Amino acid sequence: MSRVKRFFRTYTPFTRAGMQEMVAYRANFLCFLIGEIMASFIMYFVWKAVFDSSESETFMGFTMEDMVVYLFITFLAGYLTYSDGAFTVGEEIIDGSIAMRMIRPCSFEMCFLFQELGNRIISVSMIFVPIVAGVEIYRYVQAGEVRFQPIYFLLFLLSLVIAYMISFYFNVCYGFMAFFFKNLWGTTLIKETVVNFLSGAIVPLAFLPAGLANVLNFLPFASLSYTPVMIYMGMYSYSEIAWRMGLQIFWLLVMYGLSKLIWRSAVRHLSVQGG
Amino acid sequence: MESMIYAENLRKEFKKIIKEPGLKGAAKALFKPNKELITAVDNISFEVPAGEILGFIGPNGAGKSTVIKMLTGILTPTSGFCRINGKIPQEDRKNYVREIGVVFGQRTQLWWDLALRETYSVLKEIYQVPEEQFKKRMAFLNEVLELDSFITSPVRTLSLGQRMRADIAAALLHSPKVLFLDEPTIGLDVVVKENIRSAIRKINEEEGTTVILTTHDLADIELLCERIVMIDKGRKVFDGGLSELRHNFGDVRTFRFELVNGPDFKLLDYRRRFKLTDDDVCAERDGSSVTVRFDTAKVSVEEMISYTLSTVHVKDLNIKDVEIEEIIKKLYRREVSL
Amino acid sequence: MMRYIRLHRIFIAQYLKRLMEYKVDFMLGAIGLLIAQGMQLIFLGIIFSAIPALKGWRFEEVLFIYGFSLVPKTIDHLFTDNLWMVGYRIIRKGEFDKYLTRPINTLYHVIAENFCVDAFGELLTCILLLAYSIPKLNIPFHWHTIPLFLIVSVFATLIYTSLKIMTSAISFWTKASGHITHMLYMTNDFGKYPVTIYNKAVQALITYVVPFAFTAYFPATYFLTGKNPLFCLGGTVIAGTVLFLLAIFVWNRGLRAYESAGS
Repeated sequence: MSRVKRFFRTYTPFTRAGMQEMVAYRANFLCFLIGEIMASFIMYFVWKAVFDSSESETFMGFTMEDMVVYLFITFLAGYLTYSDGAFTVGEEIIDGSIAMRMIRPCSFEMCFLFQELGNRIISVSMIFVPIVAGVEIYRYVQAGEVRFQPIYFLLFLLSLVIAYMISFYFNVCYGFMAFFFKNLWGTTLIKETVVNFLSGAIVPLAFLPAGLANVLNFLPFASLSYTPVMIYMGMYSYSEIAWRMGLQIFWLLVMYGLSKLIWRSAVRHLSVQGG
Repeated sequence: MESMIYAENLRKEFKKIIKEPGLKGAAKALFKPNKELITAVDNISFEVPAGEILGFIGPNGAGKSTVIKMLTGILTPTSGFCRINGKIPQEDRKNYVREIGVVFGQRTQLWWDLALRETYSVLKEIYQVPEEQFKKRMAFLNEVLELDSFITSPVRTLSLGQRMRADIAAALLHSPKVLFLDEPTIGLDVVVKENIRSAIRKINEEEGTTVILTTHDLADIELLCERIVMIDKGRKVFDGGLSELRHNFGDVRTFRFELVNGPDFKLLDYRRRFKLTDDDVCAERDGSSVTVRFDTAKVSVEEMISYTLSTVHVKDLNIKDVEIEEIIKKLYRREVSL
Repeated sequence: MMRYIRLHRIFIAQYLKRLMEYKVDFMLGAIGLLIAQGMQLIFLGIIFSAIPALKGWRFEEVLFIYGFSLVPKTIDHLFTDNLWMVGYRIIRKGEFDKYLTRPINTLYHVIAENFCVDAFGELLTCILLLAYSIPKLNIPFHWHTIPLFLIVSVFATLIYTSLKIMTSAISFWTKASGHITHMLYMTNDFGKYPVTIYNKAVQALITYVVPFAFTAYFPATYFLTGKNPLFCLGGTVIAGTVLFLLAIFVWNRGLRAYESAGS
């Protein structure tokens, strides 16, 4: 018990710092968010045009209503599971201030994790409710009945938390690569676009050719946003949810292990450089 | 003839939004921000004749940099004006800055990722320096500032001292009539400081460049400046020569000696002997060594020394050189009222 | 004017020297942008695999408009990318002082200092899209088609650049405005698709408020159909000119309000 207590006492200040940072920059954050969500609205109009131009009510198994839920919940999931630890780690590696982190008596990535959690607490409180409420009101107006399902919603939350952790460790792995790449902007752009595509954020994986979709469904990227979003939409049966979340946990363990591995070799690299 | 620099009632106010802590404060700031008007520079006037080196001193936040930024045309005064080289910076910026050079010690104007030489070739175009003149100028700056050893290195690899020399050269490339140096020796070691001072002196002597410099290092002032303007809380508190400064603010001198017998210290009572106040004299003991600081306007050096020698057993007595640092320290501690 | 052209050559030459030092970074940046555009095209491909036309627009027409939208975007990106830094860093950190002590126009100086070759990723996409779509479309071709295309590209670019100048200049008052630039800039994506797919409010917004519709859709439809030259091309010219004059005005007002930073 006391160990747990000490653990939290060590790391909660980071969470507080993360929250304060977010509060201080809330105006910037909101503007940034509006810019980002614009892309979802453009997609909404494009899909609306697609459905208007198409003779059938569904497009590859999705109704317009599904599409709207998909677009905005994907945006939400993408935003909430986005972790910029990578950039921070990478920048600190490049400018050398990472050494300061290494001499502190606390786990390196835990500091980031807790700081980011603080960030997320504030941003969640600002965007989560409006987006979910907006989507549900839309569904209610379209369907004339409440489509919101609390059980799926809770499972969605759980899946989202795992997705965040996968994203966090994936990005820590990526950030550590700065030890080897020494470049951030270009590689980050490439990483983000590719991850976006592979995770279904640009087109639902179901729309891709069956063979490709099957492969992508098993890759860790689907666990980042596609899985939680499909759960929210009620596209999966309970048994399917069970094994999808099992897959998520599997990828979480893999990413965690990988980050430890890369960290160990990165530290060796650091000492070789003498930096 | 009019002075090279003429400033009249320069005043600069900044609006500062006061943030209250917490979310409530943030919400309040959004709708009704709590603004406070800060007067950074409060009606300062002064003149500098051509060819002079003027030292600008004052505590941190006194408004030195704000004055420099108004003189260089970066900031627009709230009221008042300055005319330099016959031009008002804010009215005719592009033509004005052609004839001045500016160095901000804390910030570089060199192109970070390029070899130093490239910076000069870009500046040559920006200031339209003819090729012939550019060559001559570079040779001269090379000689004065010794740039040769690092002129082909990328700027990001330069040491602070090299970077500062390079920055000064960049400001001088177009042979300006006035040179503004904002803390040109900040963070440098003694040797480099000396190097930079002699370069400034040389340029001032050979080309008659008018120089304004701000500094925290009083050695810069003592070694370079004929005249000093001291500002505090945005107001000019002194304007004159070094000797005048000493005269006005009292000439503080210091002497130090070793006591043969430590406890004898209590026998020394300068205050009662010369009827002085705590402001006039201050004696500190550290083990057997004693440091005495006093104001020569109130009591002479001879009297102090002879009293000391006649009262206690002393070895190794030495009198330190006069330092204006003491005066300024006093001002900084707000012990001098003006 | 000649002097500025000469200066620009020198700035670009210096930039290319810097580029040589960071080859890999720039390559990766360009590849990243190319991939980003490619993903969008896969998305369009998937859509058109299921429907013959999008609200009456054929695949090639949509690609043409999309490609056209990249022309001003790429030019703006290539030449004026440094404006982003004004709102994000240059003013907040007081780095703007430097520009004010130089005897050239501050706006020009800030812009000229950087030249963003990452934009070649977009340029390549743009060329590929136009080269693919134009032969498949029945574009009426006259002697004035190419001059008009060049002129309209310049003014469309001005729309992008002016919006960036204006929003960056806000930071003269507020210290930082990168997020505002970002917010406004992101609406440019609305211009990539035929505006008839949007509802009336969005159409009005991107036609009259943030006129990105004039950077692609309107001029592109003129070239496609030859109809409405006055509105489609004239609108671009007017929007570009008005925004640019406004941008210069805001920038100059901002200069006076500039407060530098620190002591």
